[in-house]
Amino acid sequence: MSILVAEHIKKYYGEGETLVRALDDVSLSVERGEFVSIIGTSGSGKSTLLHMLGGLDNPTEGKIIIDDKDISKLKGDELCIFRRRKIGFIFQSFNLVPSISVYDNVILPLQLDGRKIDKEYIDNVIENLGISKKLNFLPPKLSGGQQQRVAIARALASKPAIILADEPTGNLDTKTSQDVLGLLKTTGHKFNQTIVMITHNDEIAQMADRTVRIEDGHIV
Amino acid sequence: MFSNKTIDRLDEMLDEAMSGKFCESNYDESKLSRIESRWKAFLGTSVLSNQNLEAERHRLEEFISDISHQTKTPMTNIKMYTELLYEEARMLNDPKVPEEDVAASARKILKYAEKIKNQNQRLEFLVDSLTKLSRLENGTLEIVAKPSDVNELISEAVAIAKPKAVIKNVELVVSESTYKENQTASFDMKWTQEALSNVLDNAVKYSPEGGKVTVSITDTEMYLAIHVVDEGKGISEEESARIFGRFYRSSGNQQVEGVGIGLYLTREILSKEDGYIKVIPNDKREGGEFILYLRK
Repeated sequence: MSILVAEHIKKYYGEGETLVRALDDVSLSVERGEFVSIIGTSGSGKSTLLHMLGGLDNPTEGKIIIDDKDISKLKGDELCIFRRRKIGFIFQSFNLVPSISVYDNVILPLQLDGRKIDKEYIDNVIENLGISKKLNFLPPKLSGGQQQRVAIARALASKPAIILADEPTGNLDTKTSQDVLGLLKTTGHKFNQTIVMITHNDEIAQMADRTVRIEDGHIV
Repeated sequence: MFSNKTIDRLDEMLDEAMSGKFCESNYDESKLSRIESRWKAFLGTSVLSNQNLEAERHRLEEFISDISHQTKTPMTNIKMYTELLYEEARMLNDPKVPEEDVAASARKILKYAEKIKNQNQRLEFLVDSLTKLSRLENGTLEIVAKPSDVNELISEAVAIAKPKAVIKNVELVVSESTYKENQTASFDMKWTQEALSNVLDNAVKYSPEGGKVTVSITDTEMYLAIHVVDEGKGISEEESARIFGRFYRSSGNQQVEGVGIGLYLTREILSKEDGYIKVIPNDKREGGEFILYLRK
């Protein structure tokens, strides 16, 4: 059973002579527990696609179904809550809240949703990502790689339906990237988490179980 | 305590779950909406575990059919060569056989015996690997990752792979800076030796005669990486995803001895100790390179 289905997604900008087809009839499905990478050069449409999948932008045409729900039908607050509950984001720029501790950053999505903290699970996640000793630090005190590991923990904490990672190692050096990708792969597998990652780099894409290539708005 | 409406909705949620059609009615900050989302998440995980059970069953079926397929070839070969051997020996046994045919016949007999021996070895190796694999998969032998000595791991694994390298005249080198004092990572010594020696064996196997296999280490905050580099053809990008599958043999390598379990076993071992293995495809570098990542 697919956790994510994108059907005939089109995203056009402008019109007439200046019409840009950022995505032109893209279909994709992701199974539960899969680690999929979407690879493409800059301008290929991969970021546009990820934004659609995450409900951060609406397609011109087509349907996106996450956990059996057609997200193009959700509006405003509802979409916002849906994202908070169902999607874990990992961004290139980490996007941690700088003024609260690492631990509070990890449990933030749970708190926003008013959910009880499953301490055993959270501790397990934190341990696996090697950030146990950093819990009381503020994010800016951490290295880039450590910050991204906190972001992975935050994404795993709420056990979302799917994790979307947007060039997760874009701001990191090669060695640190290897750490972050290794942890994303091994913890994703361990906690049965579905992951979709976009990247422009072949070697990074190779870490996934399956690779989808996108060029000029088409899947090839 | 609860309004009738809430009870009705809960009842409905159960009905929908039983028929496999449950989906949240809406998303808001109410407790009921939160319960709906968690109910959906719970149903999702039970679907996933069912799916995993089904996949497991399928894997087992494939495994059994793989085994019968893999054992059939050497068995058939042994049968055939035994037959030929028998025929040749019977001919030789005939007192009327001309003198000049005796030598040729003896050569043939020797060749057949050699073939039988090879096939037998293949069978033995296959059964050995399968035993290991099944012990690992059904958990009779558990992998316990704990802080262990990386130097010992490398020197032992190299010692295991050395004899085959010597026979093939392949130089097995541990690069200078590899051994450092107090170099530890979290792994199971015995099984990880198995994993690393599998990769070394492979590197030797696919090396040209007189080639070189180099072992080295790189180190990051979270992982200790063991690199095994050879001077063989390497692995194409296309193949790089498939080589870790069970019984996978590269299409051009059918004549090289092996059954296609080594890398699969290696990946399973590493994954059970929170590590992983990666291959650098040959469009990125010359020769082959495998990297084993051990969690620190």
